[in-house]
Amino acid sequence: MRAQTARPPAPGERKAMRKKIVLSNANALEVPGLENLTTESVRDMDRLRELEGQVVGFDGDTVDALRALEAFKPGQGWGLFKRPAALVRRDLVHLGAAMQSARENKSISRGVFFGERGSGKSVLLLQGLATAYLQGFVVLYFPEARPIADAQTAYQPIQTPEGETIYIQPRYTAHVLGNIVAANRGLLDSLRLRKQHQLPIPLQSNISLARLLELGANDPQLAYPIWQAFLSEITAPSQPEKQGQVRPAIFVGMDGVDHIMRMSAYLDTESKPIHAHDLAIARDFLSLLSCKTHLPNGGVVMAATSTSTRPLVPTFDHYLARKHADTYAHKLTTIVDDLLHQVKVEKSIRDIGLSDLEELPAASYPPPLAKQVQDLQYRVRCYQDQNASLNSLRKYLNTFAPKLPEWNPYEVKDERVAKVMESGMAVTKVERLSKDEARSVMEYYARSGMMRGAVTEGLVSERWTLAGCGIVGELEKGLVRARF
Amino acid sequence: MDSPLLRRCVRAAAHTHKHIRRRPQTQQCRFYATPTDSQGDLRAAPPIRMRSDYNTSSQPRAQFLDDNYRSTNRRRDDDEDNREVDLHSLRIVPSSPSYFTATPQYTDDLLHLSTLSRRHQLLPVLAPGQAPRIAWKTIDQYKTELAEPVRAKGYNALLKLLKQLNYIHPSLMPEEVKTTLETFKRDVQPYLNVPKPITVDAYGVSVAVGRRKSSSAKAYLVEGTGECMINGRTLFQYFGRLHDRESAVWALKSTQRLDKYNVWALTKGGGTTGQAEAITLAVAKALMAHEPDLRPALRRAGCVTRNPKRVERKKPGRLKARKMPTWVKR
Repeated sequence: MRAQTARPPAPGERKAMRKKIVLSNANALEVPGLENLTTESVRDMDRLRELEGQVVGFDGDTVDALRALEAFKPGQGWGLFKRPAALVRRDLVHLGAAMQSARENKSISRGVFFGERGSGKSVLLLQGLATAYLQGFVVLYFPEARPIADAQTAYQPIQTPEGETIYIQPRYTAHVLGNIVAANRGLLDSLRLRKQHQLPIPLQSNISLARLLELGANDPQLAYPIWQAFLSEITAPSQPEKQGQVRPAIFVGMDGVDHIMRMSAYLDTESKPIHAHDLAIARDFLSLLSCKTHLPNGGVVMAATSTSTRPLVPTFDHYLARKHADTYAHKLTTIVDDLLHQVKVEKSIRDIGLSDLEELPAASYPPPLAKQVQDLQYRVRCYQDQNASLNSLRKYLNTFAPKLPEWNPYEVKDERVAKVMESGMAVTKVERLSKDEARSVMEYYARSGMMRGAVTEGLVSERWTLAGCGIVGELEKGLVRARF
Repeated sequence: MDSPLLRRCVRAAAHTHKHIRRRPQTQQCRFYATPTDSQGDLRAAPPIRMRSDYNTSSQPRAQFLDDNYRSTNRRRDDDEDNREVDLHSLRIVPSSPSYFTATPQYTDDLLHLSTLSRRHQLLPVLAPGQAPRIAWKTIDQYKTELAEPVRAKGYNALLKLLKQLNYIHPSLMPEEVKTTLETFKRDVQPYLNVPKPITVDAYGVSVAVGRRKSSSAKAYLVEGTGECMINGRTLFQYFGRLHDRESAVWALKSTQRLDKYNVWALTKGGGTTGQAEAITLAVAKALMAHEPDLRPALRRAGCVTRNPKRVERKKPGRLKARKMPTWVKR
């Protein structure tokens, strides 16, 4: 037996160490000329587009807000560099555009990020939070869906006005309220209560929303009613003429959303598992995500999946794959329609332009479509080479329909999940980095002094391949963390 | 006084004296190895007639010989028709003169080979080292076939003759030598297995197989941008360990070709390390089809030779391959 030489760790010490968020490395170099994500840069779309492909830092204020929201997670490598910074990717530019539109036109956009392990889904969501914060949104964030559904916090049933039984989680809700108020204090201090709410405690009629949330954060028994009150306040139409009645757009995020797309680990009074959609917090988030709750002031609702300790969620996976394929199928249909139009207009098959069709990168299409695209490209080319009649080409194009992944009818589908997923949200696959992006990240590593040696074409290419064709997490693991 | 005669005499005397001193007159006349003068009616012994088929079991062990056989063949031929076989005067003589040796068939073989060697010694031969590689029968196989106690030294003498005969130029190789050599070859000739050269096909793909430990891998290599798929998954998805990922593409990495090719590999068997290193070998072989000049560089990187190491077997009396059980006093 090994002799114990040191004091054993106190209860909770190991966990605290494991969960500790370190955002700075005193040994790393300050990167000269590292830009920050600022209000100006996120409000000016041209500026944000210019930043695409660059590593951009967060200023102190944003970092505090993100930290309060628990958006930084252990294992994301923030502690390896002088200060937090992340690569601006195309997805973030799109997200920024959506926010811009939400702020200006009060539009709503909803979506789910999914992708491979280490592809940067959570960091993308974090950048979304930062952007929203800088745009002046009210930022609501559930850092993990897992603690909502894995029966780790207390729960109790309540009846909704419609007579359904849902389950609230007072402690968890109080915790989230605390996070929200800490992150958005500057904004929420200026917003005043407008409606009359049925709450267990008497409330002053015009207290600030920050004060309201503090009440909920301090008393778990009040947390859920106050959360509901807060949600109805923040989603009330804006009244700019009255003081404190301006309602900004909101950004709602949830990471690891797969955990609430299945039966939860909680049991009801008959010892049957409770569906995660019956948990009040999850239900509220999903009603935002599926647009059941209207956002009159505009907003962005984003969820990200998680691939570490991921549960089996076949229905959710199916819809992700199907919706992802659907975006590609849409492009394909447009091209086919264009060809059909040309068939009508042109005199000869030789005059039909195939450049759009032939430029389609078939290999990057999701599996059922990839083969179809290849087939289409080949067949149409054959028709043209053989100088076939326009009619035969038209017949072929008319029969063409993109194939999407279909649900296996012999498996049980989770109808509640299906209903949420069919509500028209966007699904975005967080792709791997291109070589240029990888180079930009590697240059940042090198300038931080965390990677030795020159960033050459060969090195970029090599590390890109070893990181599974540009998985950003693996790139970091191989270059900064690995100690040989 | 100083006449030439005298001088000649003196020189002759001195010469005689020197001669005497050098060679004592013990050997007055020279003997030859073979007698030069006629010694009567001397005839060569009848040639040893070796049979061409060396299936010695089908050879007659003995044959009947007439007493007159050795004296005159002509007379025997004349009398052949009206000869009466007198069984009492018949003498049984073995067909092979080596019948009375301990290893008659081996001796026959040796004699036959040396005859062939002698007979065809003037035929042109190949340059040293150029003879076709042939797997001759092992001594154990030979002994088993003959059922004779052939010694290693004796068999080596046989092999030496075989190799010597094998050096005869193939275009002039006599039929009898060919057939004789055939009988001494092993049934399976491993040297006939020539590896098929790996080529790049019409689509620019080269395919090669590599093995390591108990894993095997088949790699398809095509010019590209450095993408790598293994069993339908990316390098990162298939190998969690960075070291394995590096191993898999080591052939490309060590030759700075990682961004020039795409790899599509199938691998099975064994564990992750074995699979990764099997892919290394497969990719290296496929790469050599694209760029044969990289062979030395790949050899230096250790990607050309198949690593023959396998798990050592467990032995009885041991806990593992080598580990001994704990020693207990009683």
